[in-house]
Amino acid sequence: MEAMLRDRKAILVFVGPALLIYSVVILVPIIWSLVYTVFEGSVIGGFQFVGLHNYAELFSDPTFWQAFLFTVKYAVVVTIGQVGIGLLLALLYVFYLGKASPLIRTLVFFPVVLPTVAVAALFKKIFEITPTYGLVNSLLHVIHLDAWIQPWLGQAGSAFWVIAIMDIWRSMGFYGVLLFAGLVDIPAEIFESAKIDGASGWRMVRYIVLPLLAPILFSSFIFSINGTLKVFDSVLALTNGGPGQATTPLTLYMFTTAFSNGEYGYGSTIATALAIMCLFVTLLIFRSARQDVG
Amino acid sequence: MPQLPLQFGTPINRRQFVKVAAGTSLSLTAFLAACGSTSTGSSLNSNGSANIEFLSVQQAGTGWPLILATITDQYARTHPGTTFKVDYIAQNNLNQQVQLLAGQGALPVLYNSPPPDLLAKLSKDGEVLDLESTFQQLGVSDQITPGAVSVLNKIFGSPLTQLPFELNVEGFWYNKQIFAQHSIQPPNTWDELVQICANLYQKGIQPLTASGIQGWPITRLIGNYIFRSLGPDALLNVKNGQAKLTDPPYVEAATAVANLGKHGYFGKGVATLDYTPALDLYLNGTAAMMYMGSWELRDFNDPTVNKIGADNVGFFPFPNVTGGAGNSSQTPMNAGQTTTVNKAKYNATVGQWLAYMVKNYGDVALQKEGAVTGFAVHNPPANLPALTTLVINLIKQTAQPVLWFEALFTTKATNISQQDAAPLVTGAMSPQAFMAAVQQANQS
Amino acid sequence: MGQALTKPIRETTTTTPPHGRTKYFAGKLLARIPVWILVALLLIVVLYPLIWLLLSSFKTTEEFNTSAFWTLPSGLAWQNYAQAWNSGMGTYFLNSVLVVFPSLLLVLVFSLAASFGLEVMKWRFNNVVLLIFLAGIMIPSQMILLPLFTMYFQAGLINTRWALIITYTAASLPLSVFLMAGFFKNVPRTIIEAAVLDGASIYQVFFQVAVPMVANGLITIGLVNFFFLWNDLLFSLTFISSDNLRTIQTGLLNFVGQYGQIDWGPTFAGAAIAVFPTLIVYLILNQQVIKGLTAGSIKG
Repeated sequence: MEAMLRDRKAILVFVGPALLIYSVVILVPIIWSLVYTVFEGSVIGGFQFVGLHNYAELFSDPTFWQAFLFTVKYAVVVTIGQVGIGLLLALLYVFYLGKASPLIRTLVFFPVVLPTVAVAALFKKIFEITPTYGLVNSLLHVIHLDAWIQPWLGQAGSAFWVIAIMDIWRSMGFYGVLLFAGLVDIPAEIFESAKIDGASGWRMVRYIVLPLLAPILFSSFIFSINGTLKVFDSVLALTNGGPGQATTPLTLYMFTTAFSNGEYGYGSTIATALAIMCLFVTLLIFRSARQDVG
Repeated sequence: MPQLPLQFGTPINRRQFVKVAAGTSLSLTAFLAACGSTSTGSSLNSNGSANIEFLSVQQAGTGWPLILATITDQYARTHPGTTFKVDYIAQNNLNQQVQLLAGQGALPVLYNSPPPDLLAKLSKDGEVLDLESTFQQLGVSDQITPGAVSVLNKIFGSPLTQLPFELNVEGFWYNKQIFAQHSIQPPNTWDELVQICANLYQKGIQPLTASGIQGWPITRLIGNYIFRSLGPDALLNVKNGQAKLTDPPYVEAATAVANLGKHGYFGKGVATLDYTPALDLYLNGTAAMMYMGSWELRDFNDPTVNKIGADNVGFFPFPNVTGGAGNSSQTPMNAGQTTTVNKAKYNATVGQWLAYMVKNYGDVALQKEGAVTGFAVHNPPANLPALTTLVINLIKQTAQPVLWFEALFTTKATNISQQDAAPLVTGAMSPQAFMAAVQQANQS
Repeated sequence: MGQALTKPIRETTTTTPPHGRTKYFAGKLLARIPVWILVALLLIVVLYPLIWLLLSSFKTTEEFNTSAFWTLPSGLAWQNYAQAWNSGMGTYFLNSVLVVFPSLLLVLVFSLAASFGLEVMKWRFNNVVLLIFLAGIMIPSQMILLPLFTMYFQAGLINTRWALIITYTAASLPLSVFLMAGFFKNVPRTIIEAAVLDGASIYQVFFQVAVPMVANGLITIGLVNFFFLWNDLLFSLTFISSDNLRTIQTGLLNFVGQYGQIDWGPTFAGAAIAVFPTLIVYLILNQQVIKGLTAGSIKG
């Protein structure tokens, strides 16, 4: 049997196709992308070697830093929102809901699977101000809070929050289930013995639940940050990076640089910066997780 | 764990495995090839007749495609088999699509033109037909009006390479009824315009409507202010490096327009409005004034879209700026989104169609859509709508047209300018920062 | 990563909480009413926008202008759906199907084979190769976008469905191989040994022993990838530009851009059409979906 499991030709047949297509479509482009960063141009216009010019431009480009800040701000806010509310939901599912729990979980999970463009179209209508009031503005009008009616998507500040709310709304069910699975892993006897020791409610959560949930919480944080740093769909569909470039994350900035301005070299530089950011953040969280949990 | 019946009666060896895999892939390929869509882009049908394909930002059945289709139908009566087809592409994607197709040699024989810098590249690659000499050969040089030629040369340089399916003048269109109700006269100067806005705003009427998402309806105002205050060559000077957009007189224009936004004259949702809803606000009577081009005659003359009625639509030119070097008779004119003929796909058969089209476009456009074009009209219809006559007269009267803000900018600067227009009028971006951003994009 | 200090009493393959715990707390709560208010609020926040979407898709344009947002539609304006479908949503839907399902098939086949080779078979480099696949999970798609565009451009594949199928297949491989390897780890070697002793070749072992044992895993991976691919926006936006080849997400983007702010009815209908397939898959397979999507993130 050993010989059969070591059959070289068979291994090639099994692993070959996947490895081939993966290398050609994923690995090679990664290297290629790095090479692009020292060039400038486009497929149509041709390329020219520019050395480290793109990197210099990156550091002095105010739009890049604006996009960088937006990306970070968005990642932090939405991660805290998603995972935080997810945690609250998980606590709800486990401690306060009995038979209804699976049904509620399923319902709240639902927005996770919806296409982002459809959700964005929906939210655009919810926050619309002109030509007719959307859901939110109509509501404000009806309860006579007309002073609060505003172009939610037309102002940088409120547009950010609309995007954040939309994405938190969308994903909270996901983290709810994720953390729920972690909570369920905790054996009941721990809670019982804690109860005997006098812990209850909030203290139970803080000193028992959270520490035991820590590994999954970290896992969720990493997953969430990774995903939110790369936000693209939601922003494109809801505000297209506007007004101006106020809600443009790095992913969208890279996209418009490459395809609207025809600057593939600079676009690749932005993408590389983004990739480094993702790696850096993930490593950072890994490190602090190691130190805490040991 | 379920119990598996271990039957190895029919051995599968490596060869068969690979065969199965290959077979699946092949059948998938066949299936998909049948489903995939490719355009050969050839401008000749199999029977030798012309196959005109048009890459356009307008859909089939509207605007220019409709007129071209009508003309081709007429043409096909004497030249059977001639076909016309539209490839729709959204305006935002036009540049990319043109570049894409050009690189693959799949650019159709007619395509809406990208900005001048890209067009120059295409010209080098042999995808832009020299219309000046072609028209001379075909004997139809007189079919394009001189006004159109002068505007086109200003933008694209000579020789002529663009088909002017539109010839537009721009200015302020106002709601006559609202003006009459509040005893307002059309303004002669910019300050008067601002006062009218203040007046209307106080009375709870939205003075102006513009699309923040498109951006250019706002930047048009900036450009025109510059022309009025600094003269018709002001932006040419910027292009030639003799002046900068960050010079105080230029920034003043941005400030003037930003102030309109600051006071709320554009309405609250200006940054969220796209083109059609903004237009609609004027056409349904909500907004009193709108800066727009005469390509909208199509909608002004259409009672289903124009709720205030064509009689209610008034026009006044972009006003003077007190003490400025320009004046309001220098009407902003443009040829809208122009169209290029692909030299690589052009041949004698297509040329015959082209000659016929050029001779008939002016008339058909005027008849079918009341649209004014850069082509000569031979049989003007008896009862033209009043607005159309107004526009035609205005074109005739304009001795010195001016272009628009981004006319001579690079693609990148155009993008930045139009993107940042909304923050400019909502106050999120200062006029200085706006001009600086555009100036920098122009230089890189 | 969910290591408990002691072994959990119950098998946690089910997703209901142990009864003992709930009853214990339920009894202790002073007033249960606030909980149900909380739950009701939660459900409203989550479901009302979707219900609003559905109801609004049945309203005519006049109804939007005249009546308030919470009123029910006076009739079922099916013409909104007809208009949405005919103005492109039908094409977009079809394109999504034509692109996603072949990709799914390819991904499943390739990842099955690859994970079997990496996990069950023995060779020097299998850990290295596995790691190489894993690394792909971390990479942002933007890194590979431009070179891919160039590659497809040179190959004449831009604006064809092939570009998407190839990209989707490759992009889904890292996670799928990873998950599938995990499933293969659970296949006991004894069964494989038994099959070999019975005279099976390695391919027979693969097809007739290993694959059936990870059949459940196939469904999970299929679902995970279905949602990722069906909802893809970046790749279809970049590689497809002609309207008749667009998939659902880019098509809806285009559709909303055209009709969005004026014709609310068809816009909502268009969004509803985009939502339906995922909704139906979800309704039928919700437990699998939830398990699958969360499994993809918990492990590792």
